[in-house]
This record gives sequence, structure tokens and C-alpha cells, in this order.
Amino acid sequence: MTDRIVGCILLAIAIAYGITAGDYEARFGDPLGPAALPMMLAVPAALLSLALILKPDPDPAWVTGRPMLRQLAALVLLLGYAQFLETLGFLLATFIAVTLLGKLLRSTWLLSAASGAVMSVVLFVLFDQLLGLPLPLLPEFMG
Amino acid sequence: MDILSLLGQGFAVALTPTNLALAMFGCFIGTMIGALPGIGPVNGVAILIPVAFSLGLEPVSALIMLSCIYYGCMYGGRISSIMLNIPGDEPAIMTTLDGYPMAKAGKASQALAISALASFVGATFATIGLTLFAPMLAKAAIYFGPADYFALYVMAFATIGGVTGANPFKTLLAAFLGLMIASVGLDPATGTARYTFGSYHLYDGFDPIVAIVGLFAISEVLVYLEGVHKDEARSVPLGRAIPKFSEIFVGGWAHARGSVIGFLCGILPGAGASLGAFMSYIFERRWSDKNGTFGKGDPKGIVAPEAGNNAASGGALIPMLTLGVPGSGTTAVMLALLISLNIQPGPLLFEREPEMVWGLIASLYIANVVLLVMNIPMVGIFTRVLAMPQWILMPFVVMVSFLGIYSISHSTFDLFVMIGFGVLGYGLRKLDISLVPVILGLLLGADMENNLRRALSISGGDFSILLASPISVLLYVVTFAMLMLAFGFAYVGRRKARRAADGP
Repeated sequence: MTDRIVGCILLAIAIAYGITAGDYEARFGDPLGPAALPMMLAVPAALLSLALILKPDPDPAWVTGRPMLRQLAALVLLLGYAQFLETLGFLLATFIAVTLLGKLLRSTWLLSAASGAVMSVVLFVLFDQLLGLPLPLLPEFMG
Repeated sequence: MDILSLLGQGFAVALTPTNLALAMFGCFIGTMIGALPGIGPVNGVAILIPVAFSLGLEPVSALIMLSCIYYGCMYGGRISSIMLNIPGDEPAIMTTLDGYPMAKAGKASQALAISALASFVGATFATIGLTLFAPMLAKAAIYFGPADYFALYVMAFATIGGVTGANPFKTLLAAFLGLMIASVGLDPATGTARYTFGSYHLYDGFDPIVAIVGLFAISEVLVYLEGVHKDEARSVPLGRAIPKFSEIFVGGWAHARGSVIGFLCGILPGAGASLGAFMSYIFERRWSDKNGTFGKGDPKGIVAPEAGNNAASGGALIPMLTLGVPGSGTTAVMLALLISLNIQPGPLLFEREPEMVWGLIASLYIANVVLLVMNIPMVGIFTRVLAMPQWILMPFVVMVSFLGIYSISHSTFDLFVMIGFGVLGYGLRKLDISLVPVILGLLLGADMENNLRRALSISGGDFSILLASPISVLLYVVTFAMLMLAFGFAYVGRRKARRAADGP
């Protein structure tokens, strides 16, 4: 079933991809044009998606329950880290992210917080000081 | 003789203090990455590319460091196979079969030493092969025109489908997915913005490195979180540190057999180290398993797959360097590095950058010796690393991925793209769709279109030029045969599975 659903989604993407390509106009002097390759990709991709719909593999074992919640939590955490890295500053953001990730990976609060503290400092020294890749150290409102 | 003098120049490049230090650092880090279950060679190389990139290393130094990491990973993968019965990376799966039983029988250090020697033999064999064959192939490849390159890329996708053994429809679909993702951004020839949805962030397209780190490293975290409730694996005791000489050399000719088979598997575009280890083990079992000792700790069952996977990983560098078509996931990632350093691999690489190519080859010889030393007398360091808990390792990998990507462009948009690719990679892995063709499509897409465009400019828009040269016709024939083979295997496999399901 999963394969069929994915096949349908990919088929829709391939069709939309091909139709969009039709809008790209070929310019004078270019024998290929911007639309040709996308068109050449869209057709076989659509056919392969059809094959997936018609001959699906057995379903994979999707995770449910707590592990799935863990994954979702981790995803939210990563998105949040990306969003707030510059606002919170590297040290604070990394400390929070590593602590929470450690907790998600079934460590205790104390150990995760310790690893968060150590890792944020070590990584800052490593990247910013030793490798010379500037990172935003402090929260925006303090800098 | 020509080769010897070029190799001599290569050693002059490889033996400069910086490059030598980077090679040793690469070997160490590589073995570490290989040994730790949870970060395989692809992830390891991928998350270190941005670092190498922003360090502003010379291209040759960056390439030397990452190649040594790559070789190191192949050595390191066996350590957790033997100690924990968990392969440190995918090619090391076959080593668990005899390595772990041997370690459980109290001969862990002997198993580690045997496999280190086998790795050394396999990798050295492949490096010699690389030295001899790569220049030859590069010479032949000079006759390739744009149409032939286009055909070659088509073939690369087909061969990946042929040997990975998974559902070939899915592998091909993955390739098209990669090519479609590659077409996002400004079309270089006409300046048309394609599939950017009006976002200026997408005008440059997706940076392959951002995509790779997402697809491999971030998805790995999601995969790991699935099984986090399981117990941590326990390591067997190491025993006596350095075994006797005579105990290490028990493999005999299994070294040679494994190396040759692995090397041949490595050269095939798209096959790579896992196939090399698998084929070597299967062959060795047929050849020398007379008393049914395989699977119970037979040293030859360790030697063959280890020689095989190391020979294959060296062999996989040949198509990557000479044709620009990577033979495995990790070499695909290294191709991404070359492209971001503005170096176009392929036959002209040997002409234009002899220093780089031969410096790389020479440093691989050095890396092998360094790795042998690190992996026999000093193996205790790496077995201790295995005790590192995942709640430290995983966040560390995530943070290095984020920082690496952030340091390329200082844009949070790239971080979101990386996470997006992580989710995509997780989904594809769950569906048993290989990630390597996606990466390959993403990497080769632009070049494929350029060569198609060049070919059509020559012919004035006539598509028949694609079949005009004997080289391209040959390549299409091979492509067709590979596809038939892949679909044939898949069909037989399905029928076998069905029969097994129907049976009692």
C-alpha cells in the first residue's frame, strides 16, 4: 500500500514537473533549450511511478507509538535549532539541542545536560577558534 | 617506467608535511568513523566535506585527507563487526559472520589482526591496480565526445540498478528523482529559472553537499531513533593485545582471491565495497569450506571479505577519477567534493592535474602502511571508542553536520534544506529505495545536460548524433544488457520469494 501511495505522489510530481517544463521557452541559438531535459525526465519518471503503483513491494514496517513520537520530537528539535541558531547564539542553542537530543536518546537529564555543556564549548572552540569558521557566539539581544 | 616517475612525483606531493599530517589524521578519523556503528563512510566523509572545504585546504590536500578517511573507514568497519557483532559500516556485514564467532571464542585480538592484514593486502592490491589501470583508462577516455559522455552517464545509472539487487524500478526512479532535483535552479545555458517557485534561495539549485549530508547523516539519526529502546550491545573482551606473527598469516591464498574479486567488483561503476565483500565471502566459502567451519570463526571467512571490501573500495576510485562516474556511495560523495572544488574528474584530470592524481595515489600507499600500524599494535584505542554511548555520539554527529553546512554559506535556509533531505532520505530508506542513485543524479544532472547540449550544438539539434559514435552505441548496448540483467534478477528473486512464501 505504501508503495502505491508513494507511486501516486511521484506520478503527480512527474506530471506537474513535465507540465511546468512546457512553460520554459527555448531561446534562439540554444539547440536544447531549458525544457527538453525536464521533459525527457518527466516521461520515464511518470512511467516508473506507474510501475510502482501496479507492482508494489510489501509494506515496510513503519514505526508507531513512542519511537515515532521520538522521531517527531527530534525533527521539531532540529528545525528549531536551525531556526533559532542565530537568535539564541551558538552556545545556548547547542546546549539546549544536545541536552534534549541526549534525553531523546534515553540518557538521564544530568548526563545529557553535561554532554550538552561540554559539546557546545568544545565544538565552539573547534570550529570558531581552531578551524576559523566564525559562529554567532552569544544571543542576538546580547551581541 | 613512465608510471614510476609519475608516481615518484606523486610521492613528492604526498610527503610534504601538511599532506602527510592530513593523511595520518584522515587515517585515524577514518578508522574511528568506520568503527563506530551509526556513522558509516558515506556519513563520515559527507559531514567532513564542508569542514575540509571551509578550511581552505588546497584541492589536493582536501582530496588526500578525504581519501584517507575513506580507506580508514574500510579498515575500521571490521572492528565493531568483530567486537560487537554489529557492522561498523555496510561492507563490514560479511565480516560479522566469522569475525564475531572467533572473538567470542576468546580470539578477538587475533581476529582483529588477521582482518587488519587482509585489509592491508586488499587495499594495497587495489592501489597498485589503480596505479596501473587508471592511466590506461584515462587514455582511452580521451576519445570520448559529448554524446559518449551522455551515454556513459546513462550507463552509470543502469549499472547501479543492476547490482544493488533491490527492486530495479525503484532504483531507476531514484535516479530520475535525483536528476529532477538537479534541474532546480537557473539553467546555465539560457538563464531560465526552473522550479524555483520564485524563491531566490533556489536560484543556485540545491548544493549537492547539503543534500548528501541531509540524506545520509540526518536520516541516520531518524533511523536510529526507531530502535533506541533496544539494549546496547556488549563488547567481547579483547584478550592479548598483539598476537603472534604466525597467528596472523593464516589466511594464505584467501588474501589473493578476496583481493582480485573485490577489485573487479569495485571497478564496476555503481557496485562498490559491499558487493566486493559479499562476492569474496561467497566465493571463498565455495572454495575452501571443506569442513563446514565457515560461520563458526574460520579465519579465511574473515580474510576474504576484508580483502574484498578494501580492494573494492580502492577499485571504486578508478571509474570515479578516470570517468567521473563514481562506483559507490562514498566515491559519489568524493565526487561532490571534487565538483565543489571546481575540479572536473574524468580523463582530462590526468592531463591537467597530474600532481593531484599522483599525489593522491601516492598518499594512498602511505595511508595503507599507516593504517596497518594503527590497526594492529594500536587497535586497542579504537576498541575503546566502541564503548562511547549513542547519546553522545548521535548529537555530536548532528551538530557537526549542522555546523559544517552552516559554515559553507552561513544561511539557515541551507539548514532547513538539509533537514528536508534528511526526511526524504529516511522515507526512501524505509521504502527500500537506494540513496546512491539519487546522489548520482543530483551530481551528474548538470553535466549530463551540458554534454547533451554540446552534442546537439555539434549536430545542430539533430538527436541522431547521440547514436553516431561506436563508443556511445557500445555504452547503450551495455546499458541495455545491464537493465535486462537487473530486471531478470529481480524477477527471479520475486519468484523465489513467492515460492518460499507458498511452500510449507
